[in-house]
Amino acid sequence: MTDGPLIVQSDKTLLLEVDHPSAEYARRAIAPFAELERAPEHVHTYRVTPLGLWNARAAGHDAEQVIDALLRYSRYAVPQPLLVDIADTMSRYGRLTLEKHPVHGLVLHATDRPVLEEVLRHKKIQPMLGERLDPDTVLVHASERGHLKQQLLKIGWPAEDLAGYVDGEAHPIALREEGWSMRPYQRHAVEGFWHGGSGVVVLPCGAGKTIVGAGAMAAASATTLILVTNTVAARQWKDELLRRTSLTENEIGEYSGTRKEIRPVTIATYQVLSVRRKGVYAHLELLDARDWGLVVYDEVHLLPAPIFRMTADLQARRRLGLTATLVREDGREADVFSLIGPKRFDAPWKDIEAQGYIAPADCVEVRVTLPEAERMVYAVAEPDERYRLASCTPSKERVVQTLVDRHTGEPTLVIGQYLDQLDTLAGRLDAPLITGETPIAQRQKLFAGFRAGEIPLLVVSKVANFSIDLPEASVAIQVSGTFGSRQEEAQRLGRLLRPKGDGRTAHFYSVVSRDTVDADFAAHRQRFLAEQGYAYRIVDAEEL
Amino acid sequence: MASRRSAAQGASPGSRTSPASHANQAGPVRSLADDLRTRTDTELATLLLIRPDLGRPVPAGFAALAARATTRPSVHRAVETLDRAELTVALAAVVAAEADPHGSGVVTEDAVRALADGPVAESLTRLWERGLLWRSPQGWHVVSTLVEVLGPHPAGLGISAREVQPRYAACSPPRGPDLDAVLAEASPAARAVLDTLTWGPPTGSIPASGPTHDAARWLIAKGVCAPSGVGHITLVREVALQLRGGRLFREPTQTPTMAWEPSIDPATVDRVGGAHARDLLTLVDELADRWGTASPRVLRTGGVGVRDLAALAADLDVSSDEVHFLVELARAAGLLGRAGSPDGIRPESWAPTADYDTWSARGAADRWAALVLAWLTNPRATHLIGATLGRGTTVGVLSPEVSWPPVREIRRDVLEVLAVPQAGGVAAAEELAAVLAWRRPLRDRSTTAQVLAVTLREAQWLGVTALGSLTTVGRLLAEGATEDQLATAAASAMPDPVDHLLLQADLTAIAPGPLDGTLARFVRLVSDIESRGGATVFRISAESVRRALDSGLTADEVLDRLREASRTPVPQPLDYLVRDVARRHGQTRVGGATAYLRSDDESLLSGMLADRTLAPALLRRIAPTVLVSLAEPASLLDLLREGGYAPTQEAFDGSIVVSEPASRRAPAGRTRTGSDPAAPALDATLAGEVVQRLRSESWPGHASRAPARLQTDAAEIQAVLRETVAQGGAVWVGYTDSDGRSSKHLVSPWRFEGGRLYAVNADTETVFVLHRITGVAPA
Repeated sequence: MTDGPLIVQSDKTLLLEVDHPSAEYARRAIAPFAELERAPEHVHTYRVTPLGLWNARAAGHDAEQVIDALLRYSRYAVPQPLLVDIADTMSRYGRLTLEKHPVHGLVLHATDRPVLEEVLRHKKIQPMLGERLDPDTVLVHASERGHLKQQLLKIGWPAEDLAGYVDGEAHPIALREEGWSMRPYQRHAVEGFWHGGSGVVVLPCGAGKTIVGAGAMAAASATTLILVTNTVAARQWKDELLRRTSLTENEIGEYSGTRKEIRPVTIATYQVLSVRRKGVYAHLELLDARDWGLVVYDEVHLLPAPIFRMTADLQARRRLGLTATLVREDGREADVFSLIGPKRFDAPWKDIEAQGYIAPADCVEVRVTLPEAERMVYAVAEPDERYRLASCTPSKERVVQTLVDRHTGEPTLVIGQYLDQLDTLAGRLDAPLITGETPIAQRQKLFAGFRAGEIPLLVVSKVANFSIDLPEASVAIQVSGTFGSRQEEAQRLGRLLRPKGDGRTAHFYSVVSRDTVDADFAAHRQRFLAEQGYAYRIVDAEEL
Repeated sequence: MASRRSAAQGASPGSRTSPASHANQAGPVRSLADDLRTRTDTELATLLLIRPDLGRPVPAGFAALAARATTRPSVHRAVETLDRAELTVALAAVVAAEADPHGSGVVTEDAVRALADGPVAESLTRLWERGLLWRSPQGWHVVSTLVEVLGPHPAGLGISAREVQPRYAACSPPRGPDLDAVLAEASPAARAVLDTLTWGPPTGSIPASGPTHDAARWLIAKGVCAPSGVGHITLVREVALQLRGGRLFREPTQTPTMAWEPSIDPATVDRVGGAHARDLLTLVDELADRWGTASPRVLRTGGVGVRDLAALAADLDVSSDEVHFLVELARAAGLLGRAGSPDGIRPESWAPTADYDTWSARGAADRWAALVLAWLTNPRATHLIGATLGRGTTVGVLSPEVSWPPVREIRRDVLEVLAVPQAGGVAAAEELAAVLAWRRPLRDRSTTAQVLAVTLREAQWLGVTALGSLTTVGRLLAEGATEDQLATAAASAMPDPVDHLLLQADLTAIAPGPLDGTLARFVRLVSDIESRGGATVFRISAESVRRALDSGLTADEVLDRLREASRTPVPQPLDYLVRDVARRHGQTRVGGATAYLRSDDESLLSGMLADRTLAPALLRRIAPTVLVSLAEPASLLDLLREGGYAPTQEAFDGSIVVSEPASRRAPAGRTRTGSDPAAPALDATLAGEVVQRLRSESWPGHASRAPARLQTDAAEIQAVLRETVAQGGAVWVGYTDSDGRSSKHLVSPWRFEGGRLYAVNADTETVFVLHRITGVAPA
């Protein structure tokens, strides 16, 4: 009986005992093929999925390495069926390859003829294929490159895309490393992406994904299309690119609801691309406006369905996805894999925190008790009203006030979901309020003030969830959220994780109403925090 | 109802004397009884072990033993255990005995060897050990019942020339050169007929006219064939043997060889097997936990509902086949039983037995050994589950129809075959099937294949095999090790249990290895299993904590137990969760009362509480204006009226009731007790004792008294009878005959089908009609 740090479970999860002397070796051995699912303090859970195994194949690992890693580090006997399953699954990747034929263009080539026969008979795939060139090769309609990959993955025969990329229109871009330099993991991420051709880089919030994007652009030195979640994020990308690269104001265009500039580097929002007029996408021409050499997708886990469909037609261009998590709440991980590409780089949150690149955080859940009268109102309320009632209880205001007082002087964000609640809070705390209705100019002014330390306290709505950069926020108090969204929790926590100048610990408070659906949803979010390795405490409001 | 036939006569084909007259041990061997008497104690014990039905109940003497050994059912059972080589020799001996020109029935080894076309000495000895042959100075003798059992056409041979009716036997069958001459003359049609009949079956139908008809007539005229019934002919045995070249079978019998695949490291096999064994124990515990709290109903047919099984399979996260296996195994090991009363007032349900508690308190290896032995001797065949019974019903789990005792023999055979190669050898399923067919040629091949597949699967779940190879404990099991030996070997193969948990802030508890005993029970109570394998991941939720509090634990106790078990401090969120649930736990209370009293006059109710005449109503105040009582509403009304109060009765909806209350009901009756344990299996020690008793002439034999109590449950009766028929041995049968007289019989049953039990009592065969059997008890 070996005494390894790893325990292989029959449901294909791997438990890694982190305090074990050889835990780090084991982690490195399994990281290429297993997704880290939970990372609480003692035992981390990884899951082996077909996508994970194919990601490993795409990164050049073979089944033998995977099985060897399991056998070497496993404490108990590894279930035989699991090993067989892993070998089977991995061998499915790459039996079909998409290649560029010198004469015929895009072709699908098979190393295993029965698989090709199976694929040729599939009624959804058949129309995407053309003439059979030889027993192992079949012509693919160039426009179907993405759809074909999507369908092949669906039937369990993921194709390896070796057809290469167009270089695109060249445009010189260089990093300007003045007073800063790329961190080692950022460099590895860029290298991993560039060698893989296309794919996704997974980095925690605050770890500097924008710089990875800039690095990739410098490597490509070609015209680039950057797709981001909203206008504020677009502005921040622009600022960051101006600061980090040789690009000038004139070379960067913004393509959003308000401006429609097309420049060598164009930053567009998901929203504007998804706009439909009379049933057609109004701004599709952007995709063909230039011969893009690189397409960057920010927050790829939020990519909306229409963009997926457009991406299917962009398969000949290099694509870089940036995200903090591969987990999509809509379960479309497979589309990310087939359309953007396999995972090219991944660094666990905790590792980067340990290296000092992101700040440690102290997470506290504060439970308030509803007063008797509110409990009655809550008890007789319609189910769909309950969450709002529980979230917006006035009792939370006093708690928020206490917390704000406690952290006087530290840059603090109060984050919420419901506007009237935020209004009241802003009035009580005498702090500026930022919502979706706040004009962009006003927003940027407030953010700038906050960054400069002139405004110590901001009350913000959901707009703060994505991609606003508030480097010095060190306290966040959330009073309500989008039900149990783990994604939102990750984003909000991410606001705090940029390293502080003085190495302070960030504080993350959730104010929750006891014995209501609010507490149930909070439990769901808390579990996410614990699984990410953040110790959290629960305290009663009275104890504050 | 009874047909009579002398069985004792069959004991000695050569002589017509009753074996009972052979009192003199030193005299010449003239019958099977004489032969048995001259055997050594070891040889007798071997006989009893191979044919356990001979020893139960203990025969009165050698004559009785011989008589029992030559009954048709007993011989039939013995023949079924022969392998292909032994069966060939048995057939050869039968053919040789009938061919003996002197009619003495003496068989020489040479004659048998010629027919069997291979070495026979070993097989002859084994047949003799089994009491199917006996030995005299002249040679071997075949027990005449063996001839009957092997049928009229042994090895596909027809009737002998002697048996051909004289009016057809115009000439004796041609021999040697004469046959060659006949063959030379034969028409192509006649040759074709001969070719068809030579290797059996020996009988063919003949068309009314045409060349084949003429050829048949010609063959009959030549004495080659004989007519058999209307329109059929049979090839005369002597001719067939000459055509076969003096051999019984075309191919000499050969022991099949198995190409064992390159072997796996035995240590790995044991390790994987040990992990499987551990999983099994956990699953049985979880099964008991679930059915202990939510017991599924016993169906009218005696089984358990499909929906209950599906729910269990989902809960345990295993396949439906594995759930069937688990439930049947737990039942076989006596860990599951019926609770409740069969009268239907409290419906019967399947629940863990008291034995389960004893079992679960033992060490892991002991628990496992008990399960494995229960499996090996379990007469229930899970491959039958789901088979169609007709009228749209199928065989259900735990239903009586799953019982099929021969499955035990096949299971044992599979293990023995798997034990042939060196440790770590892996066998292909097709080869196993071939070897099994060779070992038991008379068994139905498709059934064997089905049972083989199921047995291999179950053996893997048990940890008896792993990676397709027998584990060390599996090998011991095949060799017939005792429970203690198995437990000792299993203990070293199983992963060591851990005694601690790792508690984490995401409200999971991880046991980094198998858990045992009270800690395992506690963790299962206070959490839900999230993932299984080498380790177990438990999730603690508000619901699971509530469950623990419901079972009587307090928040502090739960936390203390967790703190004790954990190597790491209890995370603050977990502490908070337990206390938070405890805070709300019990805020609402539910109790039972049969009546309530309510009145707006609080002092009136206080007066009633103080009133002694109302004491029998067991009144209790639960609110200022409400009293509850354990008395029925009607009697409470009477009691109050007697006490001078003026109550009115209220319906559940609050309206006033003026009519009489509903009619009354008696409380539920007592439950019935469990069934008797089956008779112990015959082992080497017991066989030795039987031999000693046989030797002591004074032993009174059949003097055993009828048992005081017989099993009277219809399903039990069938189960006991099936069991006895399969195992051999005797059984007491209580019977009411057509005149209404009841009686008890000690009989050896040998067939049980079509609602009839065919049994042998001393030397007579009796047929019992099932619905007249009032009860049974194993002898």
